[in-house]
Amino acid sequence: MNPLLREAAESISLGWLAGLVTAFFIVWFVAWTWWAFSPKNKEKFEEAARMPLSDGGDS
Amino acid sequence: MMQDRYADPQTTNWPDLVNPMEYTNPTTVDESVYDDDVVRMFFGATVIWGVVGMLVGVTIALQLAWWPANLGLPWTTFGRLRPLHTNAVIFAFAGNICFTGIYYSMQRLLKTRMWSDRLSRIHFWGWQAIIVAAAITLPLGLTQSKEYAELIWPIDIAIVVIWVIFAVNFFGTLATRKVKHIYVAIWFYISFVITIAVLHVVNSLAIPATLFRSYPVYSGMTDALVQWWYGHNAVGFFLTTPFLGLMYYFLPRAAERPVYSYRLSIVHFWSLVFLYIWTGPHHLLYSGLPDWAQTLGVVFSVMLLAPSWGGMLNGLLTLRGAWHRVRTDPVLKFFVVAVSFYGMSTFEGPMMAIRAVNSLAHFTNWVIGHVHSGALGWVGMMTFGTLYWLVPRLWKRELVYPNMATTHFWLATIGIVLYTVSMWAAGLIEGLMWRAVNERGLLASPAFMDIADRLDPFYGLRLLGGLLYFIGAVMMAWNIYRTVAASRAGAPTPSAATAAS
Repeated sequence: MNPLLREAAESISLGWLAGLVTAFFIVWFVAWTWWAFSPKNKEKFEEAARMPLSDGGDS
Repeated sequence: MMQDRYADPQTTNWPDLVNPMEYTNPTTVDESVYDDDVVRMFFGATVIWGVVGMLVGVTIALQLAWWPANLGLPWTTFGRLRPLHTNAVIFAFAGNICFTGIYYSMQRLLKTRMWSDRLSRIHFWGWQAIIVAAAITLPLGLTQSKEYAELIWPIDIAIVVIWVIFAVNFFGTLATRKVKHIYVAIWFYISFVITIAVLHVVNSLAIPATLFRSYPVYSGMTDALVQWWYGHNAVGFFLTTPFLGLMYYFLPRAAERPVYSYRLSIVHFWSLVFLYIWTGPHHLLYSGLPDWAQTLGVVFSVMLLAPSWGGMLNGLLTLRGAWHRVRTDPVLKFFVVAVSFYGMSTFEGPMMAIRAVNSLAHFTNWVIGHVHSGALGWVGMMTFGTLYWLVPRLWKRELVYPNMATTHFWLATIGIVLYTVSMWAAGLIEGLMWRAVNERGLLASPAFMDIADRLDPFYGLRLLGGLLYFIGAVMMAWNIYRTVAASRAGAPTPSAATAAS
């Protein structure tokens, strides 16, 4: 790496950014799981679970 | 009744199914809209390349146990046949079953024919031509020397062209689907199509010097990081996500049960693909890679246990209510062992990614054992189960030798156990002897050959395990060949006789 770039990279701490990104993904994960398991989607996803069986296949 | 399972779909009755308004009524779908010829082509290629790839594997296992088996010829030495084995079983055997399963299941899940029959055929013949090119160049010693990415640059470019053709056909089919909801298996297929394209292009970037030689654009630690970002995601997105797609389609079909928790499958998919892509650095622990990047790889590898086991449990729990059929149905036997080995190897993997364990396991045969518990156990058994399930659907005939499928199952299972257990033992012996020091702080076994000598019995056991697995695969090929021949000759089985009328 260019020595000037290296000096620049070492002179700043990105700990706060790492924390922010981690927090963002945790919130995202919790929200996503909440959506997947929310009662209003229960019926829809139970129907989806049967899609392989109702695919008009040849069995 | 058995014969009804293969009856004409238009007369098939599904009294207990819920058909939401947004889905086409399944009883109105005509089987003839699907392109099953391309499925049969990929199916045949899977069986043939599977036998070839495993034969090369048994050959190099024999070479490690008994070196004269390298025949003293440059083309048949371990260094050239080993990449031939890995390329054949990953890209030919596993690749072709992924395409078999994708072409079969996505047409049915989306209730539409593949977007273009012509592109399907170009994909098939192009992919087989690439495999033949690999089988010629690798024994000749033409290689880029990147693990699982050995193929030289002209073949790399051919892979990109054929993959793009497959992707156009894939997304064209998705765009013209007749069903609103995209089933979870298709999401896994999407991650396979996109991620493999990105991984292959980025890792194979090179400046060609001659027709056969090129220089990679990366060097040193960057090269190693890109290589293992590719290498581990070849495991993640070539040998895991498309096979999870197969699991989410073929396991419920074979068990005739809905997916245990579709909501879990959504969380399973997104967490798995999000975590997998960061795990490559666990191949570079104690290397020149910056410490934080190594730690990142370890942390993501350990976290990967959660979605992996979520998927395993979702697969096994889908069988609730159908466990009694595992006793009699070889297809379900294969699936149960496949998903169990998926669980075992996805526990082993995160454990081996931890620094302390890695310092013992790295570069030993334990890694080979781990890879094969995933490859023989998960990928191979999923493939066999899917193939056996597809035979009567694709050729309208029951297996000629149904008991031979059960024999295949037991040979394969015993083979995997012999293989993995012998490699664990060999790996632990190597790892412990390499690091052992005497009271003066010197290496206790400074001569490499002293340690290599200890591995002989384990190499013998591994050869036996691999041989059993290979014999099982040959039996399957023979069984399927005879069944297809009987189907073409028009000889119905007793149980299929009514369905054929």
